[in-house]
Amino acid sequence: MNFPAELQYSQSHEWTRTEDGVAVIGISDFAQDALGDVVFVNLPEVGDEVTAGEPFGDVESVKAVSDLVSPVSGTVCAVNEDLLDSPELLNQDPYGTWIIQVEDVTATEELLDAEAYEALCATEG
Amino acid sequence: MSELKRTQLYHAHVAAGATMVDFGGWEMPVQYPTGIVAEHLYTRHFCSLFDVSHMGRLLIGGPERVAFLQHVLTSNVNALDLNTAQYCIIPAADGSAVDDAYLYRYEEDRYLLVVNAANTEKDLRHLAAIAAGFDVAITDITADWASIAVQGPKSKELLTVLSGGGAVTEPMKNSLNTLEFEGHRVRVAKTGYTGEPLGYEVFIPSADAAWLWDRLIELGAKPAGLGARDTLRLEAGMPLYGHEMGLDPDGQPMPIFAVPLAKFAVSFSDSKGDYVGRAALERQSAAFRRIQDRDFSDVAALPRVIRPITLLDRGVMRAGMPIYRNDEQIGWVTSGTMVPYYRAEGEGLETVITDEVAKRAIGTCYIAADVLPDDIVEVDIRGKRLKAVIPERHMSVTAPPYARPLIYGTELAKREISDAERPVRALELLKKAQENHIWRQKQCINLIPSENTPSRAVQLLCSSDPSCRYAEHKKVIPFYDKDIFYYQGTKFIDEVEQLAVDELRKYFGCTEVETRVVSGQMSNMAVFSALMDWKNRLDRKHDPKRLGYVLNNHIIKGGHLSAQPMGALHDYIAVDPVTERSAVVNFPVCPDNIYKIDVEETKKVIEKYRPEFIIFGKSMVLHKEPVAAIRQFVDEQGIPTTIMYDMAHVLGLVGPYFQQPFAEGAEIVTGSTHKTFFGPQRGLVAVNYREDELKYGLWETIERRAFPGSVSNHHLGTQLGLLMAAYEMNHFKDAYQKAIIDNAKYFAKALKARGLNVAGDPAIDYTETHQVIVSVGYAQGAEIAERLERNNVIVNYQATPDEEGFTASGALRMGVSEMTRFGFGPEQFDRLADLMADCILHGRDVGEDVSRLRAGFTEMRYCFSDEAFETALEHFAGRVGF
Repeated sequence: MNFPAELQYSQSHEWTRTEDGVAVIGISDFAQDALGDVVFVNLPEVGDEVTAGEPFGDVESVKAVSDLVSPVSGTVCAVNEDLLDSPELLNQDPYGTWIIQVEDVTATEELLDAEAYEALCATEG
Repeated sequence: MSELKRTQLYHAHVAAGATMVDFGGWEMPVQYPTGIVAEHLYTRHFCSLFDVSHMGRLLIGGPERVAFLQHVLTSNVNALDLNTAQYCIIPAADGSAVDDAYLYRYEEDRYLLVVNAANTEKDLRHLAAIAAGFDVAITDITADWASIAVQGPKSKELLTVLSGGGAVTEPMKNSLNTLEFEGHRVRVAKTGYTGEPLGYEVFIPSADAAWLWDRLIELGAKPAGLGARDTLRLEAGMPLYGHEMGLDPDGQPMPIFAVPLAKFAVSFSDSKGDYVGRAALERQSAAFRRIQDRDFSDVAALPRVIRPITLLDRGVMRAGMPIYRNDEQIGWVTSGTMVPYYRAEGEGLETVITDEVAKRAIGTCYIAADVLPDDIVEVDIRGKRLKAVIPERHMSVTAPPYARPLIYGTELAKREISDAERPVRALELLKKAQENHIWRQKQCINLIPSENTPSRAVQLLCSSDPSCRYAEHKKVIPFYDKDIFYYQGTKFIDEVEQLAVDELRKYFGCTEVETRVVSGQMSNMAVFSALMDWKNRLDRKHDPKRLGYVLNNHIIKGGHLSAQPMGALHDYIAVDPVTERSAVVNFPVCPDNIYKIDVEETKKVIEKYRPEFIIFGKSMVLHKEPVAAIRQFVDEQGIPTTIMYDMAHVLGLVGPYFQQPFAEGAEIVTGSTHKTFFGPQRGLVAVNYREDELKYGLWETIERRAFPGSVSNHHLGTQLGLLMAAYEMNHFKDAYQKAIIDNAKYFAKALKARGLNVAGDPAIDYTETHQVIVSVGYAQGAEIAERLERNNVIVNYQATPDEEGFTASGALRMGVSEMTRFGFGPEQFDRLADLMADCILHGRDVGEDVSRLRAGFTEMRYCFSDEAFETALEHFAGRVGF
């Protein structure tokens, strides 16, 4: 299990990093492993508002569906459309595969650093 | 999780890195590290192992076991022969399901009932309460035996390694067998829950379970968990208790007939008596039949039914999601997910399954009974209404060895020609027909055993004037049974028909021949129809009774299609009220030679069923049929029956080199006149009843069922051809028949010597007929036959008696008759064996060599060729303008 130090993590297993004021958001290695084969990702559209701690989409594995929870509040400025045809990218490369990018960030959830997140995963695993 | 039960294979799952979950009180693998998608695809493509040891295994014994099972199950237990299994449902009094189950009969006196793991305790309580009223014993052997499902196209191959090469089971679904796998005793069933056409469940004593699991993995199978088991059964459209059976999302019991499989799993046979839930099920069945007829006026007993559903918009359906038509909720999704499949390319037998993976969002739903296939509905997926469609089915299992996904909306390419193109096409037809004729007649070697080329004389006669005429005629009593014709201009054809009958009587050594039937299939239909009419001749005031029992060769064992309930017997065979199946039994075959009827076992079958009609004859035929032995047996036993021999393939071999059916005791012979016989494509019926015999009446009925029963015009040109063919046969048969048998044996030995796997008994040089059968590897038949065609050798790919069907064919069926007629002898068959072995075993291009070999043999033998005849033939051809 991989926990890159340069990322921040939410309790609901999303990761985020900030590039030029834009929050880039994905799901963690732990999340993809727990989901199993990801077969579909329900994405918001560019321009949608997202709220910290609220779902912005969902990810379907063969077994079940899980909400994607936004770690920030703001406006979606990009969605990764590759995921519509290749949702398995989330299994293959969870940290190299972002899901959405959010600009005009107004609020941020309380996030964990890699070490704290790894500890959280250890209790859940 | 300490209270969860564990199967005999728990440690194997943990060691393999499985994710373990609680499933019905058992700690079970939901997936292995490769994941559900990979496990699903590996099952469809190769072979997966599923630990199904958690399922409840109950042995039902005791004197009243059948009466008990008839009372507590929906199925007809009387229809369950030894070594077969059946799907069944345990009904509740209200017509809903307590559980669904599989009933296996490995032993005469005990049945094995396998139920869902989560329901085992409930089922046991339910069954035990009812068992109190019966003299039965129910033993829970769940812990003593493990079960492993071995599913996928390679499953048969892997299990055949373990069986040491012997047949694992008969090829039909639901066949059972008890055997040893490398010294370990197992019980095998050709059953499963993945929809795989090739899939087995193996019951093995608990102590040996880990051995079998590891051994199968060593052979290339991979473990698959409950996740893949669910996606596989969903794609196959199989119900899961708790989803498609039990309670609906509103908490209401779902009627059993909501599940399409109920049509097969529910019996109302009298022998079941007043079983649990019968009255409710009869109401459901009536509603089900109305729904099938698209009459939705009364669906109170079955307001909703289970159907497949395919999402058209992007997304994934899950169990419990509501389904809407317009704004009305009409049901729920009962199971749903995204299921992977391998994309296929090409059409028909040339379909290639690629390694490109795609996925589709499919499910099953419990939906208003009036929804039809192709109807569009909406699924509420977390507040969003997405479009979905009701397909006929998600998958088809009828082209083994693969389960084939049916992708909604896929259509075959259609060819249409415009009005303007038509003259061009007409010209093209002439050109292509000429090319085809020259290729088939001069450049390629035809080994299809059901075909022959008629002589030039026969061909010319076939196209001459009567080919466009009618000549209906019928025996008329006031004229002392003289045949009276209805049209003028028929005196010539009258003479021809009489001469043909006379020649053929001589050929068979029998009393009567009917030549008006224009195909072998029609010959059989005329006989079956006549037999049924004859059976009912003394009572015309009731519905006529159909035939039963009938003893024939099973189609998988080489029997004629035209002697099967799905063929010409269809409208004439009774349904046995006890088994609710067609009243047909099959000749048992020898355990060490599946091409040969086992005479001693056949006698037992005859004693048990006392068949009123016995049909010999096969289309995959290497041996003589034991007509004399069976005739003697039925005469000794005083069993009233009619013995017929459908000689379609071997009609041209009647005589001392093969069989003389009437001398051996057959009463009726049918056949087609164009396989080993010399004729054009027609049929005939021959009988050996004397005019003073009671059964002469049957012959007269056969005549009436030929005309007016089967034909009006009977293709008069080919009737002329048949007379010429009969002259040729009676004149040349001694040399021809000997050459056929010699060539077939020689060809078989030559192919064997080249390293090909020739089927049959080496002690008789593999064949006693014109046929030679070569095994080329399971499911390889069609591809090799296609390769041979590209190389100008035309053969017939064929499923052998241990294969599942034509797409799984592993053999080539060949006949030497046509090439023998063109003059092939040992030297040419030797050369042909060389070329075929090169092509089959080494993939070499031999097309040109084949054509060269063929080019030297384009002149027909065994037909009249003296100078006077040749001159007359030329004159005839010229004068009639051919």
